[in-house]
Amino acid sequence: MSAELERELAGLVGAAHVRPVSGQPAWQVAPGTPAEVSDVVRTAGRYGAAVVPIGSGSRPARVRGLGDRLRLHVSTARLDQVAHLDEMSLLCDVQAGLTGLALEKMLAPRGLSLGDYPPGILGDTIGGLIGVRTPGKSSARHGFFEEAVAGVSAVLADGRAIHTRVAPRRSTGPDLARALCGSEGTLGFITGAVLRIHRRPEARLLAAFVLPSVDAAIAAAFLALREEAAPAALRIVDSAEARVHFPDARLADGHALMVAATAGPTDLAACDRDLIESAVLAEGGQAAAPALAELWWRRRFGHEPTPEPGPSFQCTAGPSQLRAAYHAIVGAVPGTRCHVSRFDGDGAVVFATFPDDAVDALKAAEAAATGAGGWLLGARPAALDPYLIALRAELDPQGIMNPGALIGP
Amino acid sequence: MAADADRVRRDLEAIVGPRRVSLRAVDLDTYARDMWPRLLLARRDGASPQLPTAVVWPEHVREVAAIVRAARSLGVPIIPYGGGSGVCGGVVPRFGGITIDTKRMAALRAVRADEQVCDVEAGLSGERFERELARRGFTFGNFPSSIYCSTVGGWLATRAAGQLSTKYGKVEDRVAGLTMVTGTGAIIDTDGPRRALGGPDWTQLILGSEGTLGVITSARLRLAPAPQLRVFRGFEVSSVAAGLEALRRVVQRGLRPAVVRLYDELDTFVNSFGHHTVDPEGDARKHSHAPAPLPNQGALPELPGPPVVAGGDGALARLMGFARRRKRGARQDAFAALLDHPRLVNSVVGTVAEKIARKGCKLIIGLEGSRLRTEVEAALTFAELERAGCRDLGEEPGKTWYARRYAVSYKMSPVFRDGAFVDTMEVASSWTQLLDLYHSVRAAIGKHAVVMAHFSHLYPEGCSIYFTFAAHADDRAASERRYDAIWRDGLEAATRAGGTISHHHGVGMLKAPFMRGEHREAMTILHAVKRALDPDDIMNPGKLGLPGARWGGQ
Repeated sequence: MSAELERELAGLVGAAHVRPVSGQPAWQVAPGTPAEVSDVVRTAGRYGAAVVPIGSGSRPARVRGLGDRLRLHVSTARLDQVAHLDEMSLLCDVQAGLTGLALEKMLAPRGLSLGDYPPGILGDTIGGLIGVRTPGKSSARHGFFEEAVAGVSAVLADGRAIHTRVAPRRSTGPDLARALCGSEGTLGFITGAVLRIHRRPEARLLAAFVLPSVDAAIAAAFLALREEAAPAALRIVDSAEARVHFPDARLADGHALMVAATAGPTDLAACDRDLIESAVLAEGGQAAAPALAELWWRRRFGHEPTPEPGPSFQCTAGPSQLRAAYHAIVGAVPGTRCHVSRFDGDGAVVFATFPDDAVDALKAAEAAATGAGGWLLGARPAALDPYLIALRAELDPQGIMNPGALIGP
Repeated sequence: MAADADRVRRDLEAIVGPRRVSLRAVDLDTYARDMWPRLLLARRDGASPQLPTAVVWPEHVREVAAIVRAARSLGVPIIPYGGGSGVCGGVVPRFGGITIDTKRMAALRAVRADEQVCDVEAGLSGERFERELARRGFTFGNFPSSIYCSTVGGWLATRAAGQLSTKYGKVEDRVAGLTMVTGTGAIIDTDGPRRALGGPDWTQLILGSEGTLGVITSARLRLAPAPQLRVFRGFEVSSVAAGLEALRRVVQRGLRPAVVRLYDELDTFVNSFGHHTVDPEGDARKHSHAPAPLPNQGALPELPGPPVVAGGDGALARLMGFARRRKRGARQDAFAALLDHPRLVNSVVGTVAEKIARKGCKLIIGLEGSRLRTEVEAALTFAELERAGCRDLGEEPGKTWYARRYAVSYKMSPVFRDGAFVDTMEVASSWTQLLDLYHSVRAAIGKHAVVMAHFSHLYPEGCSIYFTFAAHADDRAASERRYDAIWRDGLEAATRAGGTISHHHGVGMLKAPFMRGEHREAMTILHAVKRALDPDDIMNPGKLGLPGARWGGQ
């Protein structure tokens, strides 16, 4: 039966794009068109094989609890085309296998951009960015990545292709595209999306500030946001982290460094920078050397190396719990250094780096952070699981669509 | 399947007691409809509507859950009911059943200044909600023209929009979480930090479900600080196309005016007939027969006050005025007489307007928010518009509009009494498709009715168009035929042009037949979500393009 399946797949997508995964009852398949994805999914259905999306295939597939079940690791590596670029409406119809960085490279010469998302996330494919609701894909200026999704194309378990219609907003029932966002391939295999893109800002201004404490810096950040500043990026670095990342700042113990980027029409970028500066002054801080912010910005885009190791723990919290969450993490694992970023009205994310000799640091930090009102990333409200299971059963009665994801089989 | 009324009463009284259940004819009649103009046509003709079996007023989410479970075992539908201000028949009990009025669940439970969110129950009226928030220095930012007669729950169930949506977004852009009683009587809560949660976003799958998945009982909503500054400006622009191009540049530079209204030639022409005074107080007095309170009698507070939107505006009032004068035989009003010749009016008036009034299209812009940023954005916005060829008219046009932004929605009944009908159609598309959408929908409606339009609710990728139309026919059957033809031709034209059939009024019964064309194969997902949350098909059956097959719907 395996040989038959392999032959069939080769007939659908070409033998060059089907290869067995060693040591597993699995094949890696790389369809070249959305229609071929439909064919592959239909075939998987006939064999009862699991369809596991693996993005561009650069990382090993995460397969949990599938035992000996036949499975197809379906790669989007060949679905890497921009189908349509609408420069008038700033909409871009892309295939799922294109990476964010590749798309940025195509948009840049036209004065366009995906938006102020952290460059670190853009190495993922568009399908991965949409399909997995991982944290950190947000900016105060451009919102969450899912909000950039104007439409989704996907293949359902029965092989049918759907394309949610694109409109700036609509009142015609629930947002059906958002069912697929974050579904990790369990409700449909995402083959493409229409994304809202942006014009490159006319101006980008960088600024650095020193504040008397992390608490004061967090208060200043939310004060500026309430005054409607919409920075492209804003980061608060505690003194322990500053010693490693910004030794030139010579930050006193307990103080905090804030670096910020504002963007837009020149007057608006300047306005936002001034709003942030006013908030910093109100919280007892002052301006610092802009070179610090410039260093941060170069590192952000990989033009200069960031000191290793990177953060090993992240948690998020709302504006009122953020300070408590930060202090809880630092208190739980002595020697921890942190920065806080991804600010918007809903809160921000604390990134912690533990000292090399810390024991059970992750567990201690998790317990401390959640105890202080923080949220670990990737949590899912278990109370809604029965509805997710029911929804999956409706769309995928055979249970072939990434059965190990979200909720195990 | 028809449950007997006594048993329904007994079961409901066991949950909420005898005083919050009614089977009285007057209540059933009241709850049989909303403000869908087609129902008003039938009502004018004395037709008896499909009635609910009972109306119930729960005061707590647990009572709602018990009522839904009771309906499930009785085998009768549930119809959630907020303010009854919908214009698509979304609350019509097509197959009878229990109508749940949410208005006794109306608490603003908490306003959390540090988080800028509030917890609010679904039945709170929009006006009281905004007034309460204003007192505490916040705004939710949703100001539909129905604000005096719509509820927060109704907004959430239909993905409503307000007059300031270009800045604050539509309702669905401002929801942190929802509490809903599902079709199985379970209480679910979708709250949680968006940045942290995995899996599909249930909040976005429930918003806009119009009661077909469950009863939304409360929500956590995002707030904005009450505005410190509000700036208005009117402009004149040579044509719709030139105005749209100017506005597109504004929003694509990242500027977010709160109010944007570009009136097409006919709308501008009709508007210019009015006595536009610059005396907001006096102007409000003119509308004193409307149920809305005057500004000095507890209308929405000035500062965080609401500006506008979705339903009413001066044009509709004017048009209604013409329709009425026509019936009175005031034939000297050439415009009114032409209501029976819509094609002629639609094709001629644009040029007449230009000749007589020597004007193109009127554009109203308003900005509000924190002082510094609003000042900067206003300067950039006005400069951008002037660069694009718009002529500055000063602040008066904006102020005049602002003073009467709610006046119109409460003035429909005289028009209907006089034998005519008016309605509005709100569609939207990307900028690329927008002019095509405008011309094709206008032509489609224009075969049957006098039609005008304004453009409002802007986004970086597109914009909505708000058509207002008025028509007349000799009797109910003819009126309904004409009415149905307008909607069929208009919505089919919208779909063909690549637009959506509804930007913010919702679907209800009116647009249900067009949902398939709107979503195509993606309807599969809506059907699946429906079965996952309401396996027995008891929640508001026959709406939103979901057939209600169990009840004989198609």
